[in-house]
Amino acid sequence: MKICLVCSHGGHLTEILKIMDAFEGNDVFFITYEGMRANGLVKKYTMKNLGKNPLRFLISIPNVFHILLKEKPDIVISTGSEIAIPVFYIAWILGIKTMFIESLCRVKEPSMTGKIVYPISGVFLVQWKQLLDKFGKKAQYWGNVL
Amino acid sequence: MIFVTVGNHYQGFERLVRKMDEIAGRIDEKVIMQIGTTEYKPVNAEYFDFDEYGKIQELNSSSRIVVSHAGVGSILTALEQKKPIIIVPRLKNFSEAMDDHQLEIAEAMSENHNVKAVYDVKELENCLTKNLNFLDESKDNLLVNSVKNYLSSIT
Repeated sequence: MKICLVCSHGGHLTEILKIMDAFEGNDVFFITYEGMRANGLVKKYTMKNLGKNPLRFLISIPNVFHILLKEKPDIVISTGSEIAIPVFYIAWILGIKTMFIESLCRVKEPSMTGKIVYPISGVFLVQWKQLLDKFGKKAQYWGNVL
Repeated sequence: MIFVTVGNHYQGFERLVRKMDEIAGRIDEKVIMQIGTTEYKPVNAEYFDFDEYGKIQELNSSSRIVVSHAGVGSILTALEQKKPIIIVPRLKNFSEAMDDHQLEIAEAMSENHNVKAVYDVKELENCLTKNLNFLDESKDNLLVNSVKNYLSSIT
């Protein structure tokens, strides 16, 4: 199976790396931000930090289409943050399965990214049971990265 | 050695860096600080702004204890290196963060033996002199197993 892992740098990347054992035996590639941390990853596509920059979001769209059409992953999995937004919506358009994992730091309040991708995520996970109430029926708790 | 870290966040964390620098001037133990964009520069401790993740892992590994902002990445890194960690949540009203969400993780981790949350930096010195032992409670990770099972089911 081919898995596309999407995350911004820092803690979001650290979190997804904590669960790499779950992807054993599969072909994995990353979509992440440029920077020192990305250099350590074997197979990756990088982009500039999207931040809250609408122009960068727009520019990322053809880039993400190109990556997903070229790689044809079976599933896109993300721990956030905002980099998940264009990738998840384009994956949804292309009929690719998605799984979003809210960050460990989201205990009582959802992230903005979580709220935006929730409607179209195939699987939506929270890492603290108390966060389930803040989302609809789709949200599940399957444990956390600790 | 005490390793102090403020993570990758774009805002500084002067409240923590200043207090740890003051403490470093009083204690015998070596203190090394990753200060990020903090403008205040320590005078009693070795410091740097950012470094490669591998170096950060090494510093965690060679420390006795880690003192950190309450960022998930920094917490996971210390625990992965089996080091006890004191976490100080960044607060919005000190311009350390955009909001107070670090308070949530500090409260949520209060049951974890290896994590001690400190909200007032005046309490730091007291916590550092205690010898905090790391309790290794590693077990099968439920999230890893659940995701693995899900992926098998859709193959």
